[in-house]
Amino acid sequence: MDDTILIVGGGPTGLAAAHGVASVGRKAVLVDKADRLGGAPILSGYAKLVPSGEWAKDAIGRMVTRVASHPNVGVHTSTKVTALEGEAGDFRATLSNGETVAAGAVILATGFTHFDAINKPEWGFGSFPDVVTTTQVEQMVGAGKIACPSDGRTPERVAILLCVGSRDRQIGREWCSKICCTVSTNLAMEIKELSPETDVYIYYMDIRTFGLYEDKFYWTSQEEFGTKFVKARIAEVTIAPDGKRLLVKGEDTLVKRPIVIPFDLVVHAIGMDPNEDNPEIARVFGVGLEKHGFLERGEHYTSTFGSTRPGIYVGGSALAPEDIDSCIAHGLAMAMRAVGELQARSAQPA
Amino acid sequence: MPIHEKSLIDPDRLLSAEKLVIDGIDVSGHWNTTILPRTVPDYDPEFQKKIRALPGGENVHRCWQCGSCTNACTMYAINTDFNPRYWIYCTNLGLTSEIVKDKDIIWQCVSCNKCTNICPKDVRPEGVMKALAHWLEEEGHTTRSNPTLFDEEFTRQCLERGRIEDSEVMFNFFKKTGEDAIELMKKGWLGVFIARMNNLPLLREKRILPFIARLPIVGPLKMGWAMLFKPRTRSWGRTGEVLRAYVDEQKRKAQAHG
Repeated sequence: MDDTILIVGGGPTGLAAAHGVASVGRKAVLVDKADRLGGAPILSGYAKLVPSGEWAKDAIGRMVTRVASHPNVGVHTSTKVTALEGEAGDFRATLSNGETVAAGAVILATGFTHFDAINKPEWGFGSFPDVVTTTQVEQMVGAGKIACPSDGRTPERVAILLCVGSRDRQIGREWCSKICCTVSTNLAMEIKELSPETDVYIYYMDIRTFGLYEDKFYWTSQEEFGTKFVKARIAEVTIAPDGKRLLVKGEDTLVKRPIVIPFDLVVHAIGMDPNEDNPEIARVFGVGLEKHGFLERGEHYTSTFGSTRPGIYVGGSALAPEDIDSCIAHGLAMAMRAVGELQARSAQPA
Repeated sequence: MPIHEKSLIDPDRLLSAEKLVIDGIDVSGHWNTTILPRTVPDYDPEFQKKIRALPGGENVHRCWQCGSCTNACTMYAINTDFNPRYWIYCTNLGLTSEIVKDKDIIWQCVSCNKCTNICPKDVRPEGVMKALAHWLEEEGHTTRSNPTLFDEEFTRQCLERGRIEDSEVMFNFFKKTGEDAIELMKKGWLGVFIARMNNLPLLREKRILPFIARLPIVGPLKMGWAMLFKPRTRSWGRTGEVLRAYVDEQKRKAQAHG
């Protein structure tokens, strides 16, 4: 029986879980395969977060500092868990740096992998330098300049294509990535702030800015920043005869006519894939994967955030596409579950 | 060459020539027909700005294409070509030619405002219809409407003299619309109007003198005098010029902000 909790993944979910565990006086060991904590928002260089509007490096940075400086948390970066033995209440994990960790419970906060837009070759990513992803535009916003990668010019017209790697049976992505609509409408505003002369068009099938993101992002983007919304799923992106601008081809569903519209910059609103390491994670930790490849939930109503294996919890974007605020809530909930379980075990007579 | 399903092609995309020579080769006859592509090649971002600068069009950019306006529309119930949702979309993307294509029906909006009432985004589609009709008129796609002609004459007199002269407004309005005032008096609303101003039952009762006694004489005389001498409001001075300059400036500002 060990009262340390092993947390795998140092993004928003893992950071929230680690602080939760530490704040009630338990020990947490946080392991991340990357060379630093923070997860996707830090590693991919996100700009301002949805919905707070805070810069990722400030907001997530605070989470990192809070955990890294906590005496109850041990951090291993550039490290993976290579083996896990034992059972609930008494796990023994072997780390890739040779150390072993004895833990009473395990929290999997292993997150997601960005969809690789090269898997939709008809939309030009990888073929044309001015076709980029939302992640790249986040980085441009972070650097304070929107520019076409080909020649550095400021784009007069930007097209954001939604559902790249989401809601697409063709490539086996049958899920909605939940947050790309909101992120894209937010990016459209950020582009407009940096370059007021640029016109931003969003090509959509549906707009799914859920909950309070509706007016804060979708409506504001449309009404105050002049983002234009075009209902069309794009067929292909090619280069214009001038060799400079891109041609976005598709059918405008509402005009019922084909469109071939010139753009300077085309942005893929890439979705959230299951973490590319999920098969390895499933094998090492002995947990199940659901049909899309995300980690599988156990019984949720009375064993909240339990995986398919007792003593191992899973939450955040390891479960399904998820926004940062929800990830943080999942992390804290998993801390509660893990600590509660250890508490219950230590109360039992040995 | 016969075209199957011809009804599916917009008439303006169908070109056929009696005699057609391409690159020196006579292709008249079987190959004389060309169908222009349906592809939308570009957007005009300025168009939305123009419509937003017109009264009623201010909120057109808010539309998210739910179709409530068209669904509620009185005119759509009669003519399914009358589709406010579609025109709003075309306005926002700047598909100007699509708007011009429907120039002969957009003005038919009856301003019942069911669309305005139902719109979840407060686009005020009825106002957009007005703004579009206004734009079509300004650009010369439609003939100038009678209300516009009336407004022009009315405003002109106001600014020139600080007052209007009813009979001169009507006189010039009829001149501009090309309507025959005599005909209107005999058969149209003008005759009814004049009859109501006079006490016709007296005439029917053959009480000629009382009828004449009640004829409006002084008023029309004053009107006639004013029409000839065109008096201005006292100390009107340059007020008209200043007002005109102000109105022009406001219009320019509205366009710039659009």
